[in-house]
Amino acid sequence: MPLPPAAILAVILLVLGVTAVVAIAAYVVDRSTARQERKD
Amino acid sequence: MDLTHIHLLLNHFPVIGNIIGGGLFLLSLIAKSDDLKRASLVVLLGISLIAIPTYLSGNGAQDAIKSLPGVSKSMVETHEGAALVALGFMEVTGAFAWLGLWQFRRLARVPNWNLAVTLVFTLVSLGLMARVSNLGGEIRHAEIRAGQGTVTPEGALARTVGSFVTDTRWMWPTCETLHFIGLTLLLGVVFLVDLRVLGVMKGVSFASLHRLLPWAAFGFGVNVITGMLFFVGIPGQYIHNTSFYWKVALVMLAGLNALYFTLLEEPWALGPKEDAPLTAKIAAASAMVLWVGVMYCGSMLPFLGNAF
Repeated sequence: MPLPPAAILAVILLVLGVTAVVAIAAYVVDRSTARQERKD
Repeated sequence: MDLTHIHLLLNHFPVIGNIIGGGLFLLSLIAKSDDLKRASLVVLLGISLIAIPTYLSGNGAQDAIKSLPGVSKSMVETHEGAALVALGFMEVTGAFAWLGLWQFRRLARVPNWNLAVTLVFTLVSLGLMARVSNLGGEIRHAEIRAGQGTVTPEGALARTVGSFVTDTRWMWPTCETLHFIGLTLLLGVVFLVDLRVLGVMKGVSFASLHRLLPWAAFGFGVNVITGMLFFVGIPGQYIHNTSFYWKVALVMLAGLNALYFTLLEEPWALGPKEDAPLTAKIAAASAMVLWVGVMYCGSMLPFLGNAF
């Protein structure tokens, strides 16, 4: 059974949201470690 | 041997492993020993990986005993719900343990904030896992039961989550898409590192690529969460599926393999234009084979074993 438009929108928004959170978290881990590395 | 045997074999590891890993970790903080810190983080990471097949095999054991006399469905589901909560905490502990090992490579120490977070999660995981063991014991040991069995605040949480996954129209396609994004992140980084070790992109040092590993770790995290949601949604689809057994076994081996690149000196010392030693090349090639195997078994889930 095909997904209704609201469910398709929910999938897109959730996928984009989770991907953005993951990318920001990985970026923050990388930058904060690099900053600490320079400080040390 | 079936999943019941595997569950009985594995179910002591999360509790005992947590006691050993947590004890070593506490000792390392008291003794201020970096070697002990790294050893304890490896134990905690290993235990967090073993906790995954322990949980998964539990559903197989549940299937095997559900029609036996004296087995209460609600007690089994209470044990399952508590196990899901404990598994979540254990995986977070494992994630911070891995991050600590990765940070140690870069900074020659584990930052204090990470030590504090790992300690708190280890202690909470230990308490929760001990409770799961007790609830599991109550299913078949009437002598330790209080009345009709222990009641927990989360109750049959795994079944509630499972129903949400299967009954919500957007949930499965969302998890499926995120599972592929996680896979792309994980394999993109892992293959880059492995190809460098095998002699491709020799101008790049291992340390430069090592910096990308958290992206792979986050990808793995997304896949563990989405994979667990699939499993909790329809466990029957996986517990009788040979392809799924192989997938989980290969993930465990790949996790072991990943430790080589996080812990050992050989790959870390690999500078630009340098050729990796044979052991590093074997580790890199085997990682690629293992991850391709994971992908193959994952894609073949609906086609092998007639479980879907």
